[in-house]
Amino acid sequence: MKITDLEKNVEEFCLRIENLDIKEKKIHGIIGGNGSGKTMLAKLIMGILEPDRGQIDYEGLDQRDITMTAQRPYLLRRSVYDNITYPLEIRKIKPDEKEIDEWLHRYGLYTKKKQYAGSLSSGERQILSFIRAVIFRPKLIIIDETFSNLQPDTVALIEEWILKKQENDPITYILISHQMSHIIRLCDKAHVMYRGSILESGNCKDVLFHSKIPEVVRYMADQVIRMESV
Amino acid sequence: MNRIEALLSQVFTDAGTYDSIKVTFQMAFFSTGISSFLGIFWGLLLERIRFPGKGIVIRINRTLMGVPPVVVGLVVYLLIMRRGPLGSLSLLYTIPGMVIAQTLIITPIICGMIYSYAVKAAPGVRVFAKMMGASKRQTDLLLLKEMKNEIYFAIITGFGRSISEVGAVMLVGGNIKGYTRTMTTTISLLKSQGIFQEGVVLGILLLLMAFVLQCLTDFFRKDDNVNENY
Repeated sequence: MKITDLEKNVEEFCLRIENLDIKEKKIHGIIGGNGSGKTMLAKLIMGILEPDRGQIDYEGLDQRDITMTAQRPYLLRRSVYDNITYPLEIRKIKPDEKEIDEWLHRYGLYTKKKQYAGSLSSGERQILSFIRAVIFRPKLIIIDETFSNLQPDTVALIEEWILKKQENDPITYILISHQMSHIIRLCDKAHVMYRGSILESGNCKDVLFHSKIPEVVRYMADQVIRMESV
Repeated sequence: MNRIEALLSQVFTDAGTYDSIKVTFQMAFFSTGISSFLGIFWGLLLERIRFPGKGIVIRINRTLMGVPPVVVGLVVYLLIMRRGPLGSLSLLYTIPGMVIAQTLIITPIICGMIYSYAVKAAPGVRVFAKMMGASKRQTDLLLLKEMKNEIYFAIITGFGRSISEVGAVMLVGGNIKGYTRTMTTTISLLKSQGIFQEGVVLGILLLLMAFVLQCLTDFFRKDDNVNENY
């Protein structure tokens, strides 16, 4: 997927992406401070927002093969199980109950399978939205701060699943996160956003640890200090 | 106890009481059915489309939500009276005439309620549907399903308003015994004749119906307390 000269203005904020290449079947991390435009970029890729200028070349990728999970996911007024099967239902795919049960078991949601989804905690909602996003096997998943309310062991389980899946049946991920640890552990590529623009793109470790751009170095130093203080 | 039994027997052996209950339900059923279809359709359409003067249309609808039923009754009377523009249809002093008046009273109420709910629910549902790759038709269907409880609530409110209305049905229906006499117009007549006991029994019956409707609305609203999407 290629993004060229993309521009979107919302009130005083301007997002301007000159060039962004999202390589197929790789995990891309997008990092940046609050208000740098990460979520806006994700919404533009999803087609939730219309750009004022520029274009996104999906290179044959169908809109129905792209999905996104948000920090505060929307849950349907149905049971946990029915929430998970919704993307299958609209694609007329028969749900594999055994597979869904395995997912629910793995992340401790099995006992809440028939429970009303609105009653879940914020962490459980995020797990549900992740399962719902991967269950229909999309080709591109945008994960926007979805792991922020999860326990470290649950995050480790999800990361382990993603990495294992990438070995056998890789898909493209765009991972938006404030937590450097996710990006370092998961991503092949990293893109640093600052005030609506991409400052640097490249291999994850080169960008995160060997950047020459002062804003990126400063941002990384802040993150390292924060990680150490935790 | 014997006195109450005698009173109930007196009220229910009177053929007019049964007829008034039958007419009330016939009128309420048809007027609520038509109003629900129109109100839900216009409410959702109003949320969905943008046009110049939309704000004024919403304000007019809100005004009509509180319009005195007697005024509506008078307007309908003037329209369907023998010398009126719709006089040739012979609707005056008939149940269809009463249904027209009731529909004009209830439709703005259901439309206004549906519009208010849709304004809150639709943006979240549309973004979610886009993330899941739903088509436009699937998105509309999902919105209807997500608003299911609110739709029931609006319909029940409309039905409750219909069975309790007196001014418009008195004007348009003419309170003809066994034909257009409803429970409320019967109470009004009994009071003017000084027959209070039967009037009170009918009033209690109406109150019981209102209580059942209230229980139903509470049942549909209970899920809202645990839903954090809106």
